[in-house]
Amino acid sequence: MSLKRRNGPRAIAALILFSIAQVGLQVGLAEPTITTTATTVLPQVIGRLTTRNNQPIQVNGLSATTGASILSGATLETGADQSAIVKISGVLRRPLVTGTVGAVEIAPNSKVVLTFDEQGNLKALVMFGCVKVSAERNATGEVAIEQGSLAKTDPASGGDLELRYDPGSAPAVGPGACKGPGPIYAAGSSGGLFGLGVPATIAVVAAGTAAGLTPLFFPDDQVNPSGPSN
Amino acid sequence: MLGIACCLLLMQSAARFGYARLLGKYAVAVNSIQAADEAVALAPGDPEVHRARGRVLSRLQMPGEARNSFEIASRLRYRDDFLWLELGRTREELGDTSAALAAFDQAVRYAPYYAHTYWQRGNLKLRMGQYNEAFVDLRAAAASRKSYVPSLIDLAWGLSRGDGKVAEQLIQISTDQDRYAFARFLAQKGKGKESVGQFRLLVRDRSDENRRELIRDLIAGKAFREAFELWRTDSSLKPPVILNGGFEEAIELESPDSTFGWFVFAKSEAKVVRDESEKLSGRASLLLGLNGNWKGPAQTISQTIAVEPDRRYRISFAVKTKDLVTGGPPAIAVKDRGADEGLGQSQAFPTPSSDWQRIQFEFSTRPGTQAIVLEFTRVANGCSPCPIFGELWLDDFVIEDVTTVNSQR
Repeated sequence: MSLKRRNGPRAIAALILFSIAQVGLQVGLAEPTITTTATTVLPQVIGRLTTRNNQPIQVNGLSATTGASILSGATLETGADQSAIVKISGVLRRPLVTGTVGAVEIAPNSKVVLTFDEQGNLKALVMFGCVKVSAERNATGEVAIEQGSLAKTDPASGGDLELRYDPGSAPAVGPGACKGPGPIYAAGSSGGLFGLGVPATIAVVAAGTAAGLTPLFFPDDQVNPSGPSN
Repeated sequence: MLGIACCLLLMQSAARFGYARLLGKYAVAVNSIQAADEAVALAPGDPEVHRARGRVLSRLQMPGEARNSFEIASRLRYRDDFLWLELGRTREELGDTSAALAAFDQAVRYAPYYAHTYWQRGNLKLRMGQYNEAFVDLRAAAASRKSYVPSLIDLAWGLSRGDGKVAEQLIQISTDQDRYAFARFLAQKGKGKESVGQFRLLVRDRSDENRRELIRDLIAGKAFREAFELWRTDSSLKPPVILNGGFEEAIELESPDSTFGWFVFAKSEAKVVRDESEKLSGRASLLLGLNGNWKGPAQTISQTIAVEPDRRYRISFAVKTKDLVTGGPPAIAVKDRGADEGLGQSQAFPTPSSDWQRIQFEFSTRPGTQAIVLEFTRVANGCSPCPIFGELWLDDFVIEDVTTVNSQR
């Protein structure tokens, strides 16, 4: 075998290797660039927003729905037929545990500024509307209006506070101040379609479905055995 | 016969399936567990009815049960990113953040080019304390859907506790559009210096319209000095300065921008005109015609002036009156623009008629004062009602910093 013939396969192998390397390089360059420059941020307590029926509410003037993060100092505003709950948890320094600080339920047509910290303090400053603050043990819940604080929970036991405030009238603090018992943000009761109630609506739906399917089970000749008239 | 039987069987299956879906929709519409259970019993292999049941239970605050339904639904239709998101949210509701993250990972896996999956996962990571990883996802979401940019900035700002540099690092601005949004956000937060700094980094979006918009934001955020710095086109113009103090240039009536320069109120009770026939110096002066009511003298003509805190200033001007008849003569007043508090005012204008005469008065700014407003007031002295008739002219407004002069006395 001549020297030329012996070097031929080597050259081809080198070319193939080079081509594969090129493909690999191109694929590598095509990957999305994800910058991972680490920024030092102090650990903090962050709330989680859940809105009724996943309807958007305003957080710091921006639209937000279930799953949004709520940071201390955020202003939340609900419109008519909108309500929300913010559950606040994180690493508390008093005592040093990971846990829930508490929750704030916000009724429709309310505006509230929420502040909370690693010490377990949770404050709802109500501009207008109605809120319910639920503080866990070792946390301090507080309801306030711009004129000052109105009530605080005892960290030894935790507890709930409700406040309704409409500017121009005296604020109401206490159980049921918002709207009777039960969670104020939860979905409405099952009233059924057009207010018929659940069983009646199911019956209507079932009857409608059955009526719709009747022609499938009873062809024309069975329904009208006499057949078409002349 | 076999064919007919098969057809009937298929029809029955289709009917059951359709009816189950209908019940599922009904269950969600009215939050009925009973209807949702019935739907699941009719079509246990349909992910849609499990999802409906999960939604109902979730709304009724039964996350444990909802989780089971979403898990079944996501097993049956594992490529549905929305199902994984619902499962993730429910798992987080139960406090199982690791499992929630696993569900969100699946959502991102099956919808890698959509913003909502990254946004939800980023928010979860944020609450898990994985701040840098969270912002990788949040940035990816905002890059894909621009409507997330304001929320991204807001979260970065909140997490940085108002530190502009840290917020900028978290946002990692890469486009002019995002940088301009960040500049406006900083302006609204009163961080004038940082805001103007961001604006000057813009490569293409430094249009006049954007500049005017940012000036309005800076003023709304009470960053008056920076607003003036951005407003001035002549760098030799240094505050404090009363612009067009001699009314040599035209004054814009009903100006839409309450920024710097004279602002003439659209609903002024007095007639406000630039008059070239009367002047102390230059080519013109300002004429005010008064014909009875003048209950809101401050809402006539005013000017915002950028000043320094804790300084003493002197304002001088010339006034001429003609047949000015009233129990409450006019004067010029100065108030803190940010705090809306009076800082000083001139003596009352001469009545009923006088030739041009110079008036001056001094006032001190407060520690937080960044800008003052020059406006009309009336020295009423218990005059009520207090009609006013006649004309007056103003010219040659000048402001001087007299802090050093006074401290040397």
